[in-house]
Amino acid sequence: MNLTLSHLIALLPLLIVCVTVIVVMLGIAWRRHHVVTASLTTIGLNAALVSLLAVLTVTPIRVSPLLLVDNYAVLYMALILIAGLASTTLAHAYLEGFDDQKEEFYMLLGCSVLGGLTMVASDHMLSLFFGLELLSVPLYGMAAYAYRTRLSLESGIKYMVLSAAASAFLLFGMALLYAESGSLAFADLGARLTEGGGHASWLLMGIGMMVIAMAFKLSLVPFHLWTADVYEGAPAPVTAFLATVSKIAVFALLMRLFMSAPVTDIASLHTIVAIIAFLSMMVGNLMALRQDNIKRLMGYSSIGHLGYLLTVVVASDDLALLTTGIYLITYVATTLATFGVIALVSSPWQGSDVASLKFYRGLFWRRPYLAAVMTVMMLSLAGIPMTAGFIGKFYVLATGVEAQLWWLVAGVIIGSALSLYYYLRVMVMLYLHPTEEEQYDASSDWGQRAGGIMVILLALAVLVLGIYPQPMIMLVSSAILG
Amino acid sequence: MNILFLTPLFPLLGALVLAFNPRLPDRIAGLVGVGSIGLAALVMVWLNVTFYGGANEGVTQTLWQWVAVEDFRMGFSLYLDGLSLTMVSIITGVGFLIHLFAAWYMREDLEGGPGFARFFAYMNLFVFSMLLLVLGDNLFLLYLGWEGVGLCSYLLIGYYYENENNAWCAFKAFIVTRIGDVFLAIGMFLLFAQFGTLNIQELLRLAPEAWGRGDLMAELAALMLLGGAVGKSAQLPLQTWLADAMAGPTPVSALIHAATMVTAGVYLIARTHVIFELAPMTLGLVGLIGMLTLLVAGFAALAQTDIKRVLAYSTMSQIGYMFLALGVQAWDVAIFHLMTHAFFKALLFLTSGSVIIACHHEQNIFKMGGLRKTLKLPYACFLIGGAALSALPLISAGFYSKDEILWLAFDHGHTWLWLGALFGAFLTSVYTFRMIFIVFHGREQIHPHAGQGLAHHVPLIVLAVLSTFVGAMIHPPLENVLPAGPEGQFGHSVQLMLEILAAVVAIVGVGIAAGLFLGRRRLVRSLVQTKEGDRLWRFFNSAFAFDWLYHRVVVRPFLFIGRLHRLDWVNSLMNLWPGLALMLNGLLSDTQSGRLRWYAAVMTGGAIATLLLLLLL
Repeated sequence: MNLTLSHLIALLPLLIVCVTVIVVMLGIAWRRHHVVTASLTTIGLNAALVSLLAVLTVTPIRVSPLLLVDNYAVLYMALILIAGLASTTLAHAYLEGFDDQKEEFYMLLGCSVLGGLTMVASDHMLSLFFGLELLSVPLYGMAAYAYRTRLSLESGIKYMVLSAAASAFLLFGMALLYAESGSLAFADLGARLTEGGGHASWLLMGIGMMVIAMAFKLSLVPFHLWTADVYEGAPAPVTAFLATVSKIAVFALLMRLFMSAPVTDIASLHTIVAIIAFLSMMVGNLMALRQDNIKRLMGYSSIGHLGYLLTVVVASDDLALLTTGIYLITYVATTLATFGVIALVSSPWQGSDVASLKFYRGLFWRRPYLAAVMTVMMLSLAGIPMTAGFIGKFYVLATGVEAQLWWLVAGVIIGSALSLYYYLRVMVMLYLHPTEEEQYDASSDWGQRAGGIMVILLALAVLVLGIYPQPMIMLVSSAILG
Repeated sequence: MNILFLTPLFPLLGALVLAFNPRLPDRIAGLVGVGSIGLAALVMVWLNVTFYGGANEGVTQTLWQWVAVEDFRMGFSLYLDGLSLTMVSIITGVGFLIHLFAAWYMREDLEGGPGFARFFAYMNLFVFSMLLLVLGDNLFLLYLGWEGVGLCSYLLIGYYYENENNAWCAFKAFIVTRIGDVFLAIGMFLLFAQFGTLNIQELLRLAPEAWGRGDLMAELAALMLLGGAVGKSAQLPLQTWLADAMAGPTPVSALIHAATMVTAGVYLIARTHVIFELAPMTLGLVGLIGMLTLLVAGFAALAQTDIKRVLAYSTMSQIGYMFLALGVQAWDVAIFHLMTHAFFKALLFLTSGSVIIACHHEQNIFKMGGLRKTLKLPYACFLIGGAALSALPLISAGFYSKDEILWLAFDHGHTWLWLGALFGAFLTSVYTFRMIFIVFHGREQIHPHAGQGLAHHVPLIVLAVLSTFVGAMIHPPLENVLPAGPEGQFGHSVQLMLEILAAVVAIVGVGIAAGLFLGRRRLVRSLVQTKEGDRLWRFFNSAFAFDWLYHRVVVRPFLFIGRLHRLDWVNSLMNLWPGLALMLNGLLSDTQSGRLRWYAAVMTGGAIATLLLLLLL
């Protein structure tokens, strides 16, 4: 296959991020400078974001058998790049107080973003695996970045070991599929599946193993145990990155895989996914109930949220793609802002993060705007109307009702009811009168710094999208149709 | 008519400006508060001019689409016809005069203290809600105004909230009227379920097509509407709140609890008269309620010592007359009486406000006395207003409207209602002139300082003029809205005779009042001092002890049931769920051991289970 100009344009975001990573690496080798490194990364990611406009002129286009750049991919690329940018901004403020090498962080982050971009455009098992590993391996490093603190190191190692095991499942599943269908492209796999016959059970095992690997990455029950520990131990900007970029990429890919290969038509797989979804909603929300560490709490809440979203996979109908897009946008905005607040309160790094809920007691009286942002985020996570979270949840429910998945609809409702308890607990904490104990606060000029501005913008976006979701819905539906 | 929307808009803007700037200087706050109603009144004048110049028909102005669900559509639409024009004229016209007077009253009352802007914010919001109520072209909008009016009434009764008793009075008014509101809501649901629309004109068109005369559904719908009307208009059995509503500032009593809000029930019935015509039993009930209320209120007014409570009970009885008129299908006369009543009752209340301020916030009529020499203008106003209230013949506005009601009740064959109403008229003139004689005649007991200034004089004089026969010359343009009612049985000569009879009864009442209360009141005093007399007096004073009755029959059982439900088993059952959730939370938290090998083991176990299920299912 010849590489034409339009192929190059389609690859532009990946290339730009690649170059950014290399430049950052060389820059570090030449002379260490935190601000310059962070700026370079920001510029690179922004350039990649802008280049998406150019990409839109050539979509849909297949670049080699591995990658399919269509509007769907562009939408999630944009989301990943925005989440990456947000993490960079947060990291910059956070790492200022870090007493070790700061600059490599941006290189790892760039690599990971690159992996995410590859994944959402992949149409082939090979690019899937390549992207997933490129996304995950830097994350181990990022999670353990503050390796002198025990928690951070522990979280990195736990994540690495378990993630490697999950990758083994993925590879084994692919091997089985290849053995059966003789091809690694999603489309061929789909064709092979609809044909039927042959060793159907081997195919089934292959797909099952892939599902297990993805479920691990999405921290779904029963592959969820790592979530809270890793969320808690990793530095706050890393958690923000992990909770957004990795979920977007994996879920977008999962949807593409399931849409091109209609595996959920298989009754048993359908049931399994439904069980996983239901369990995740219940277990995630139940575990969060009495959690006093806000990062762990967010980890559990993410289990529940991904459980809600998995309803969409079970439904796999016309509405599913739209719902995925809308839910991921709203969830990512909300999660980023939540971890943004945590990161801002924990910045600059002082040895560990401010994650215990008691430190947030009375935040409103000290940093009213920051507390307001956090309030909006909690409301959005709980799916209260007038926030973006409500729109996302509404679409999930609509999808569930449309497909008549009553068990899952009930699960979403019970899960939401449970979740209200702990989200409101966080909110109440913000407005209680502060105690005399030692307080941790965001620096008083947080609002003028990049991280602060980003958090406020996200909060506004969550509100605006909650009140006037039409543009977002239009955007996502045009991305699906393209 | 495209400026119709300005009528409610000005009061709303006034309310918003005042609500968001509570610290405005009194002078500016007064200007905004009174000016907004003044502008609305100007619009009202323009509406009248164009209305009489035009086709004299109903016009709808849709401001925007309010609700659009499937094929159910409802506009935020205003509807103007003769009836709503009459109401708008009363609300903005009388309302403006009362606002003007209130500017004087509140300045004297608050003596520079805070709360001036708050008062006018509430008052403007009230006028806005009331205008919505009468202009709404669908029941939903009417209900919005209805509730807004109730809210403002609550806020204004509890205006002096530092005094706990006032807060309780406000609660009482809110809760009792809320009972009526629930009936109105049910009525709305019923009509909507039947016809699929809430547009009033459409309902009035559809109802006779669907229902025959005396249909059960028609009776039920009319009964529910009546329930709402009874609550808002303080008629039996939901009348207990009105006397306590006098806890608010006096201009509030004038505006809300005499001239406008309490007439909302009359308006509602007149507006939906078609439904009531289909429900003869309920219509009979309307007349009966009116008669009973006017008698109960008349007796109660005889035994009050607070000048405002006398007027409150007189309001209740006059609205009873309106209900009676509605009950005998004298639709237009009910509205006519509503109008004249608005004039003279606003006059009486404002004058009593002037007297109260003059007497240093004294409200007990037995502590006033002999005020006619010092308070000349209030005395004249009270005489004119009192004459209108007792329907003294020829010179007063009340005569023309009230006598018409009496005559039509008789003419349409409701002899019992007529008799009750006639007796009520007698009571009215007795208690009215009892009050006048006690307050303005006899020994002087207090040194009043008379009210000064244009804001004080102008409203009183204008309303006084309107309370004479001049006011009765205004005829509301109701021909196209309300039907004439059934044919009468009697001729003109009978009418003349009855009118003379009614006039004589009123004058005799004045005479009796003069005999009893002019001079040294020895007879009354000796009567009250007997044991039976005292008991009767207390019975009348408490307005037939309805409060006592309701406390026994409603409040106490309710509290009892409430206490029973403190140990609610349903609730204890619900409490199981949080316990269950916490238990599960505990179990699941134990899985978070933090050990990598355990995590890996669970993951493997999960994978095996997944694959097994895949193969087996």
